[in-house]
Amino acid sequence: MVSKLNPILVNTLLAFLCGLLLIWSSSAFPGFVRAMVDKWGAALYLPEVPALELRTLVQATGNWVMERKSLQDRNSELELENLALRTALQQELAPEPQDSSEMIGARVTLRYPDAWWKEIRIDRGSKHGVRSGAPALSDGFIIGKVASVGEDYAWVELVTSSSFMLAAVVDDTWDLGVINGDDRGNIWLLYTPPEKEFQRGMIISTALVGDYLPPGIPIGKIWGEGDLRDGFMPQKVVSGAHLTQLYSVQILRTGGAGGGAD
Amino acid sequence: MIISSFVWLLQDFLQVLVTRLILAPEIFLLAALYKLISGPQSPRRAAKWIWFVFFGGVLWDLRWASVPGMSGLLNVAALASVYWIWDRTPTAGRSALLFAAIAGGAHLFSGVIHYLAWALPGQAAMRTFAIQQLLMIPVLALLCVIYAFKASNTHV
Repeated sequence: MVSKLNPILVNTLLAFLCGLLLIWSSSAFPGFVRAMVDKWGAALYLPEVPALELRTLVQATGNWVMERKSLQDRNSELELENLALRTALQQELAPEPQDSSEMIGARVTLRYPDAWWKEIRIDRGSKHGVRSGAPALSDGFIIGKVASVGEDYAWVELVTSSSFMLAAVVDDTWDLGVINGDDRGNIWLLYTPPEKEFQRGMIISTALVGDYLPPGIPIGKIWGEGDLRDGFMPQKVVSGAHLTQLYSVQILRTGGAGGGAD
Repeated sequence: MIISSFVWLLQDFLQVLVTRLILAPEIFLLAALYKLISGPQSPRRAAKWIWFVFFGGVLWDLRWASVPGMSGLLNVAALASVYWIWDRTPTAGRSALLFAAIAGGAHLFSGVIHYLAWALPGQAAMRTFAIQQLLMIPVLALLCVIYAFKASNTHV
């Protein structure tokens, strides 16, 4: 067994000695070792070229992807900024709302993103004649009603708000229902009988419910049926006004119901 | 040994690819260990492999380290230890699992000594060391499968 191991031991010890000699020589003759390193590096240059090229390609691809993502992010930021600036510009360019004997013109001064379909704030209040409960119109269509009034501002609850309720009538059939929103931009005419067949495009207007809200103010048009619910067939309604671009509204001057400042 | 020389070049190729990211696993050492144990067991043959892995290590150091000789020493120590264990194991016990254990241990030993020899063995160095050891596993598994396949065919 010993004789079998001897060549291994001898060669292992010799290799160790050579290794130690090399390690020593790297500190004793750094110039020689450096020359060896350079020569070996040069000899390996050709075999390593494909790897170098591949690495460069991978790095270039990675950089391209990163740069592209960075540009896309920047583009998105600029698009948002552009949209905000355009919106601000449009608001500035919007004609000054004009008052009349029946209407109070008002600018929209605030619309929270998280309550986009619920409410807006306008720059007219009780001192301008705005009363709580008064209908708010845009392009001749009702878009909500005044929910609360300050001295020089008021909050308007939008027709798309889930808490908005307004008696309405289908002009062509005289069927009554209740207009209600869902906080997501949709408007529904509730409590319509399922056996009635409404046609797309039928006009819906306010019904006579009190002296603070005159009948016959258009709300929008029927767009289609919803799902049967509690024995009624809700009808989807599209507003006649551009609810996404409300820069100014008109508040109807009313004589009843409304109080002063809330 | 020609195949193992190509494996050295392959390891060099991989190291060029992953430079500044990780360390390539020592597939040259693993391949040499595999060739050593999968062939006929003779001291003269083992002695040749000792010098082969020694020069392989020296050349590796000349390419990738500042102190030539260290990898050569570690390769020799690993190969001699593996041969010593394998030679003393009865033929019936020379399984792929045993090869995996001793070759993996040799790779780990080499990696630990390199890690300790690094100038700044910090968290980044530890991560590099750990990744290198993890990358060794699939290579070792492949060699084990080849060994088991060969052993089943030759009824070793």
